[in-house]
Amino acid sequence: MVSMGSVGIEIEGLSVDYAGKPALRDVSLAIPPNEIFGIIGPANSGKTTLLKCINRTIDFVTAANMSGTVRVGGQDVRDVANVYQLRRRIGMVFPLPVGLPMTIYDNVAYGPRMAGLRHRGELDSLVEKCLRQSALWDEVKDRLNMLGTKLSGGQQQRLTLARALSLKPDILCLDEFSIAIDPVTTMKIEEVLLELRSQMTIVLVTNLVQQARRLASRTAFLNGSRIVEYGETAAIFTKPEHQITYDYVTGNIG
Amino acid sequence: MSSNSPETSRRASNRRGIARLGTRLDSDSLNASKLDSRAALYRYYLCPLSNGTPGDGTLERPWPSLADVLRDIGRRHGGDAPSVGKLAGYDRVEICAINGPGDEPPPGKKPRYAFYVDPLGTSDEEGGGTALAPWPDLEAALAGVARLDAAGGLPLQIGEHLRLSVREVFSATPIDRRKRRHETVAKSVFLLMTLLLVIPLIAILAHLTVKAWPVLTASFVFENPKNNMTAGGVWAPLVGTFYLVFFSLLAAAPIGVLAGVYLNEYARDNWFTRIVNLAVVNLAGVPSIVHALFGVGAFVLFAGMGESVLAAAFTLAVMTLPVIITSTKEALASVPMAFREACWNMGASRWQTIRTIVLPNSISGILTGVILQVSRAAGETAPILFTGAAFFVNVPNKGLGYFFPYALDKSCMALSYHLHVMLTQVKGASPEQIAAGEGIPLEHLQYGTAVVLIGLVLAVNSVSIGLRVYLRSHKKW
Repeated sequence: MVSMGSVGIEIEGLSVDYAGKPALRDVSLAIPPNEIFGIIGPANSGKTTLLKCINRTIDFVTAANMSGTVRVGGQDVRDVANVYQLRRRIGMVFPLPVGLPMTIYDNVAYGPRMAGLRHRGELDSLVEKCLRQSALWDEVKDRLNMLGTKLSGGQQQRLTLARALSLKPDILCLDEFSIAIDPVTTMKIEEVLLELRSQMTIVLVTNLVQQARRLASRTAFLNGSRIVEYGETAAIFTKPEHQITYDYVTGNIG
Repeated sequence: MSSNSPETSRRASNRRGIARLGTRLDSDSLNASKLDSRAALYRYYLCPLSNGTPGDGTLERPWPSLADVLRDIGRRHGGDAPSVGKLAGYDRVEICAINGPGDEPPPGKKPRYAFYVDPLGTSDEEGGGTALAPWPDLEAALAGVARLDAAGGLPLQIGEHLRLSVREVFSATPIDRRKRRHETVAKSVFLLMTLLLVIPLIAILAHLTVKAWPVLTASFVFENPKNNMTAGGVWAPLVGTFYLVFFSLLAAAPIGVLAGVYLNEYARDNWFTRIVNLAVVNLAGVPSIVHALFGVGAFVLFAGMGESVLAAAFTLAVMTLPVIITSTKEALASVPMAFREACWNMGASRWQTIRTIVLPNSISGILTGVILQVSRAAGETAPILFTGAAFFVNVPNKGLGYFFPYALDKSCMALSYHLHVMLTQVKGASPEQIAAGEGIPLEHLQYGTAVVLIGLVLAVNSVSIGLRVYLRSHKKW
């Protein structure tokens, strides 16, 4: 697995419905490589669905229909020869922390092991590197054999991040990663993200518009399953084209 | 505090209050407060006809006027050093007008006037002390009552009383108490039903054990039946039951578990899955005698197995299969979906996810379900009746044949069927045989067989329960 380090995402005319109920309508986006791309929008606007289309875990949702194209690194995700390889190149962090019911070490080593990495030394250094990157190493370095599920919520979310980083992904998708963790941990992770920006493309879905403003170079505003507009974060937050975007980023509508 | 005073202590007066007032004193909602053992009732008496003789508020020495009583209450219950105790919770004070010292008014009357004190009440001191506009504390209440009295608004006839009730928001309200009462009733009913459930089990066990006591020895378990089944033990049927259970599980467990994994982990929600699920549910509901007939048709006749261990075991397998599938599905479903999604997002395939996360965390539940089917298969008679259970098989009493007495293509004895035979087919030893030590009374054999059978079932269930306890204590999330 070679990390290319400059993988962008192009989405064209993407529509998704769940058993006829539309979740995304004709969404087109270009997410350039090696930057943080913010996606904001109210609940039920299709943010999570968009992420699931990128790594094709939408396949696991029964009754989901997807049309349009999603290209990761120029390759249509529906034509990839090895979908597991695609998912390994895309790290995912979801809103609620999920520590797998295994040790902290095994949690982080899970992805590489499933990808066939067995060498203990390599795994050791990889686990340490990922835990350091996710600002968790200092807290757990003496108890790597503890169950990951016994960590606190904030620690588990950083463990989830470490797991996502364990496959050295080209793209990191974060879906409202901070809703279950405290502000201090959130700031720690945000710093990590700014560092990681040089190594990977980061898609940051967030309910906290200020988080997008702090981190993202570009931001897209999703509403009612559609992209309302997207562009430079500064522009979205200061002089958006649409009134509804302005209302949303200024907190006038929720 | 003198011991003969009616308000010696809150507890004493409370006891007294309940005893004297019965349940009819207040018919309003505060009635329920008597259920709260901590709510006290204080009674003071006044006698307008006593011409100003000072008293202490007791029945024997009543005060001459309401103003005296109120002042006395202020001293006993209010201020910084109350001599009796602060009023709290749902405590009440009653002031009764009586005809003369010692002249107890008839019980069960509603108060002529009812006033309320609520520390969190919103009313100001001018409030009327009604339920909706209570006074904020005892001082305000006493002042308010005194004011009303001075204005001539509170004439108390002989036998009537005035009541001052405390309502503290953070004490249980009457509604809370009613809920608590309903809760108690509901809990008792459920507990009673649960106990009713346990009684038959204990009764059966006790009855069987007592009746079977004379034969309950190790030799009864480890000896083969002999002398036309008038003596000996239950070894041959016991081993037969092990045979049947072992081979039925050998067939049913892999099929059931793998089918359960498919249905829970792979199957999409379509017509095929729904038909399979419907079939599983219905198969579980088929009476065992119908399984027996199916076994005769499918295994004994069509497959040409004849009446044999295999035919009987397969019939039992068909019977236990749906339950194994269902319990497997439930065990798998108890593993949170988030774990699977996390693995999929890491690029793990479905099978990798099942192998590394789902199965390791549900295997105990799956095993529990399978083991429970052991006891079911061991106890059933109908499915093996025509498919492979034998009235009697002459088996070796020693050597390897003692432990492995049956051929798979021949029929075998089984505990449940053996019990049926002992109850209905066997004549039993004659008194002479018993006297000669060549036979055991039939009743003892019957009960002994039943005890071994039920003991086997209980032992298997205990393993299952133990496994479940272990599973719970080792839960990883």
